[in-house]
Amino acid sequence: MDSPELYHVKQQFTLGAYKSLVSLSLPDADSPDYIPTLVYQARAHLALDDPSAALALVPSDTENVALRAVAALSRYVTAEADPAKEEARDAALEQLRDLCVEVEGDDEDVSEWEKGTVRVLSAIAFARAGEIEEALETLGAGGETHNLEAVAYTVQIYLSIHRPDLARKEFERAKRWAEDDLLLQLIEASIGLVTGRDAYADAHAFFSEQLANPSLTSPRLLTARGVARLLRGELSAAKSDLEEAAVQMGGKPDSETLGAQTVAAGLGAAKTAEADQLFGQLSTEHPGFPLVLDLERKAHLFDELATKFAVPPVAAA
Amino acid sequence: MSVMLTKFESKSNRVKGLAFHPTQPLLAASLHNGSVQLWNYRMGVLVDRFEEHEGPVRAVAIHPSRALLATGGDDYKIKVWDIRPTNRRCLFTLHGHLDYVRTVQFHHEMPWILSASDDQTIRIWNSTSRNCIAILTGHSHYVMSAQFHPKEDLIVSASQDQTVRVWDISGLRKNTPNSAPGTFDSFDNFSTVKYVLEGHDRGVNWAAFHPTLPLIVSAADDRQIKIWRMSETKAWEVDSCRGHFNNVSTALFHPKHELIVSCGEDKTVRVWDLTKRTAVQTFRREHDRFWVLAAHPELNLFAAGHDNGLIVFKLERERPAFAIHGDMLYYVRDKYVRSYDINTGTDVGLLSVRKFGSPYVPPRTLSFNPAERAVLLTISSDNGLYELSSLPKDAIGEVKDSSTDGKRGNGQAAIFVARNRFAVLNKATQLIEVRDLSNSVVKSIKPPVQTNEIFYGGTASLILSSPSSVVLYDIQQQKTLAEITTPPVKYVVWSADGSLVALLSKHTITIANKNFSQHTLIHETIRIKSGAWDDSGVFIYSTLNHIKYCLAQGDHGVICTLDNPVYLTRVKGKTVHCLDRSARPRTITIDPTEYRFKLALLRNNHEEMLYIIRTSNLLGQSIIAYLQQKGFPEIALHFVQDKNTRFDLAIECGNLDVALETAQAIDRPDCWERLAQQALKQGNHKIVEKAYQRTKNFDRLSFLYLATGSTEKLTKMQKIAHARGDPMSRFHNALYAGDVHGRIAVLRDVGMHPLAYLTAKTNGLDDLALEILEAAGLTEADVDDVPSFGQSTLKPPPVVTPTTNFNWPALSTGESFFDRALANGNLEGGADAPYLNGVDGAGAASAALDDWAKEEEAGEDIAAEEGAWDLDADAEDAAEQEKEEELVEEEPELGAGATPGVSETELWTRNSPFAADHVAAGSFDTAMQLLHRQFGVVNFSHLKPVFLSIYRSSHVYLSPMASLPPLQLHLRRNPEESAPARVLPVAMRTLPSIRAELSEGFRAVSGNKLPEAQTVFRSVLRALLLVPISSDNEAKEWRDLVTLSREYLLGVTLEIERRRVAQENPDNVRRSLELAAYFTHCKLQPAHLQIALRSAIGVFAKANNHATAAKFARRLLDLNPDPKIVAQARQRIAAGDRNPRNAVEIDYDEFTEFEICAASYTPIYKGSPAVRCPYTDAAYLPQYKGQLDPLTELTEIGASSAGLPAPRS
Repeated sequence: MDSPELYHVKQQFTLGAYKSLVSLSLPDADSPDYIPTLVYQARAHLALDDPSAALALVPSDTENVALRAVAALSRYVTAEADPAKEEARDAALEQLRDLCVEVEGDDEDVSEWEKGTVRVLSAIAFARAGEIEEALETLGAGGETHNLEAVAYTVQIYLSIHRPDLARKEFERAKRWAEDDLLLQLIEASIGLVTGRDAYADAHAFFSEQLANPSLTSPRLLTARGVARLLRGELSAAKSDLEEAAVQMGGKPDSETLGAQTVAAGLGAAKTAEADQLFGQLSTEHPGFPLVLDLERKAHLFDELATKFAVPPVAAA
Repeated sequence: MSVMLTKFESKSNRVKGLAFHPTQPLLAASLHNGSVQLWNYRMGVLVDRFEEHEGPVRAVAIHPSRALLATGGDDYKIKVWDIRPTNRRCLFTLHGHLDYVRTVQFHHEMPWILSASDDQTIRIWNSTSRNCIAILTGHSHYVMSAQFHPKEDLIVSASQDQTVRVWDISGLRKNTPNSAPGTFDSFDNFSTVKYVLEGHDRGVNWAAFHPTLPLIVSAADDRQIKIWRMSETKAWEVDSCRGHFNNVSTALFHPKHELIVSCGEDKTVRVWDLTKRTAVQTFRREHDRFWVLAAHPELNLFAAGHDNGLIVFKLERERPAFAIHGDMLYYVRDKYVRSYDINTGTDVGLLSVRKFGSPYVPPRTLSFNPAERAVLLTISSDNGLYELSSLPKDAIGEVKDSSTDGKRGNGQAAIFVARNRFAVLNKATQLIEVRDLSNSVVKSIKPPVQTNEIFYGGTASLILSSPSSVVLYDIQQQKTLAEITTPPVKYVVWSADGSLVALLSKHTITIANKNFSQHTLIHETIRIKSGAWDDSGVFIYSTLNHIKYCLAQGDHGVICTLDNPVYLTRVKGKTVHCLDRSARPRTITIDPTEYRFKLALLRNNHEEMLYIIRTSNLLGQSIIAYLQQKGFPEIALHFVQDKNTRFDLAIECGNLDVALETAQAIDRPDCWERLAQQALKQGNHKIVEKAYQRTKNFDRLSFLYLATGSTEKLTKMQKIAHARGDPMSRFHNALYAGDVHGRIAVLRDVGMHPLAYLTAKTNGLDDLALEILEAAGLTEADVDDVPSFGQSTLKPPPVVTPTTNFNWPALSTGESFFDRALANGNLEGGADAPYLNGVDGAGAASAALDDWAKEEEAGEDIAAEEGAWDLDADAEDAAEQEKEEELVEEEPELGAGATPGVSETELWTRNSPFAADHVAAGSFDTAMQLLHRQFGVVNFSHLKPVFLSIYRSSHVYLSPMASLPPLQLHLRRNPEESAPARVLPVAMRTLPSIRAELSEGFRAVSGNKLPEAQTVFRSVLRALLLVPISSDNEAKEWRDLVTLSREYLLGVTLEIERRRVAQENPDNVRRSLELAAYFTHCKLQPAHLQIALRSAIGVFAKANNHATAAKFARRLLDLNPDPKIVAQARQRIAAGDRNPRNAVEIDYDEFTEFEICAASYTPIYKGSPAVRCPYTDAAYLPQYKGQLDPLTELTEIGASSAGLPAPRS
């Protein structure tokens, strides 16, 4: 059973209130909450795309496996952005693999929570590196682990490889033991976002509900609901959600919000100026965002394909 | 005499009340035992029962427009029910009557319910407020019935006080009281007795208004039916109908004919002539007294309730007599012979047959003789009559009556058998007379069977219908040619070429060839009404509620459902011509795809099948099942996208390539097993091997290797068995491979030292044997009692023919027609369309072909992949596989090895034939191909921003879990739709948004910003290419928008060119004038056309071409411009009149229609050759063929194209 403080930390993390999470003060170093809080704060920094802050948070001499894992992941994320640092990247991955092996045994000193965290963090790195199979294996997909976070990550990975059926199966299994955990609801919402069951009702309802949660404010939830509304075809409502999210992010919307705003601006409009401007912003601020990369590829593909058609001279008198 | 035809009967308790549903084949019956039944009299099923009344229910009514039922019973209650099956319940109960309720009725427009009761009152209730709003008092005994007038504010009531009363309720309509219940006194203000009709000597049971005339009919216990007439001021008795010999329960006016229908306790239903007041028909029942009668408001249908149930009947046959000759239909309506040209729809009366037979009975059959232009009619009245009359050459002037020159006689059936002969059947004497046109007998025939009907049987032949067979009978030789056993045949339909005949019975159709040597029988549960042959040799027939088709070999199926029966006369392409039950010609459009496809299949007409596949959405499960069932699985294979079905079909037709491909996609053990079986049958051991590998069927795999002599792989199998820790398998493999050392090793490993020793010993491996002994802690001395065996000769069989690397040779099936056509993937390559009816769907088919082509490519990729389970892997790897395998067994799908599924974008491309959807899916490749094929687009560079923005707007990214790469989410067109086979991408551009952009262009034109307008119209045309269409209406709108934009773009371009010429080359007045003139011929909206005309007027006037300027001015006036402009235009006209000359001669012929070549800006007059833009249809001079269209700069001029694909529903 988590302490109320830790519960709150987890809740903020789950619902994407990363900004407020990193600004929380740490509990006493002897408190059992200390390490988990530290880990979640570091992960929140990572989610905010600030791996150096995450790294700074972790004591360099720590023996704790969870902290070491979070440090390794931070190093991986740092190296990821720079193609020159391939070695550092591989080193971080190796470190995580070693950590996974370390927590494999029945070591009395390592708690279940720590084991799960190491696995989840490693899986994140593996998934980011494109090692889907390894990530799933690390998360214990299809296994009998009762780690809801692992399930959540498994589900998202399944969804990313277009297997909503497996995602749903994993979710149904988790439902048997996880009761109505907040994270479980988020999992359900994620599946709903992909499958579109009942016109995205699950996702829309969940995000709307959590927006009304008095114990935290998270612009990420607004973004998520904006996306859900976009999927539901409620264009103007989606736009207002996304704008509000951007405002709450201090006028510096994150990549997903900006991406969604680009999409919303482009729909149904004859002029693409607004969408183009937003997209320009997105590609300068977040050059690694999948939408940006994807579109670059598509533009290239277009040029390549267009040359396959012979263009005759323009008819003119 | 009228005929009474019972359509439906039910047995029940005594029926006291009846009501027809106005539109559906439903009949409500209230019973003496308290139950209310709702029957579907067409299907003969009890739809519902309402049982809340206590005691008999006498009153029942159905609301004329809503699904409501009102009932009134002896429990003094009136109940109103919702009769919708989903919502059936008693809505409310009206309390107030103090005695039995006799009748209830809904008002035809007000929310009123009228009730008559034994408490001597008539009440009107408001069904909205559920209050009693009026009580009509005055009758001094039970009120037996009360009815609203069908139009006016009147009520007629009948009472046991021997009077019929007419009440005026016009006051009620004006002042619908809102007073609370209980203040009854005020009601008398709203209704007054208008007339009291006295004349009956006993209590009156029923009174009813005539639907149109000011007449009332009443039925009474004095056994009389009385007819009363009303004027504005008075009402009086007109006459009585006497004949019932007991109380008359009900009397009604026939809704259409001048007849009265009545029923009574004398167990009869009687029909009376309204004008003559004479009995026309009596229908008797043995034991049952009739209590109530109801007429259907629209149809020729009545219902009567009696002691033991009810009957639904009609008074006359509805099937109109008709004959078809070519495209002319000759038929009888309202006792007139008419002709109807099914091409032009001309429908004229030719001949009156009013004096032929009973006036109440329509003729039964009509036979037409084209050579003599004569008709032969029969009628069933007067025991059967026939009449031969000639039709006038033209239908000018008075239509003559057949009695003037018709030739008549007795007979039950009469048909033409030759140009100058007809045959007449006399059923009673069983004699067929052949007569000439002067009606004299030339031959008499005694039919060989009991004959009830005769039909034309081909040249000089008759078809005789007997109770159990049909006989083809030769008139000349007087002998039977052939006989087919069938139920009684009622109608016969010959195909147009006379090669096939359909014999229609009540529930069967027999299709026979012309000499009856071949025939098939089709059975129908629903009554068959009529039929006609399609030109392609398919028999189309109608039942009570369906139009169906039937192929000569007996396949049949439903084409569409019918609300009411129709009588088919002729089928041409998609159009079915028929007569409805009131003998009016109608047409029904059907979808002939299914039967045409089946017909093509039967006839092996592959071109047509392919054409149908291309032009229609014929991809349903039913057609696949049909193909499979008819033994064409290999054809079905081409229709199927679903992996499982594809696999089944591939297995069935032995197409191992496809089966392997789909098995890989499905990847389920049972599939692999079935594949292995089929491949084994065909000797394709490579596929067998792959399948065994996938299912990890080690034993079989080893045996397969033994059979194929693949020792190398057996060795690997040993290693794998070792890794799996399965000594038995290792032993097997060693045995198969002839590997003695291996065998010994296994035996030693499992501790079976004696066997190991002996194996070594018998194979001459003494050193090894010694080693084993030592390992077992023994010496040779300990085993000296073991007899020595000779050298084992057991060896694996030698390989005679090495088949390891070869599959069993199989005959190549060759490329099927479909493989070729589909691999081709291109419409141009296919055969020409044999049918022109369905051209609109060509695009969809081309898209479908794309899908197939793509699918096949994808399949090859998979096939090229190595099996995941590679035998070359060393033992360690195999061990790892092992670990994974355990997981797999536990939950085959879940686990780390999950393979990626089908992405949404792939579904999008699969589900849509529109380029826009392929773009949204990111499949630019197919999108470009589609645009190229559909619209001849070759220059894509301008479309890049559109492509990218559509793609960009179709996907949104979100990562629910921190730090994972975000999920790509896909925006769908319809968020409600999540079925994989139906999802489509969001439409970034829609027709409304395009229209908004277009109006921007209009504004630019009005504002004289021509280059800007040109850009807008170009952009609109480019955007329209990528608008997905969801309906035919949208497709039409789309086409209109394309045309409109093209016209504007052309116009604006002309004007820009004119200004350029005027500026750069001011001397070239002639060209400037021409361009100004052409501009006025673009099809612009009036406001913009005015601009074009005014500009032209100005330019022409300046050049002193006053005559043409005046003409433009006249055209301008036609557009009703502003008064100021009108004045200017008139000035121009005046100037033109003063000076009707043109100073500059130009190439402009306003009197001939022309289009403007969008490249040279010169006219292409009607009739001159032109090539067109495959997208916008803009015209060009033939010399520009093959060049880039300068208007949109997208397409190749004159390229062939498939056009907009049909929306997939």
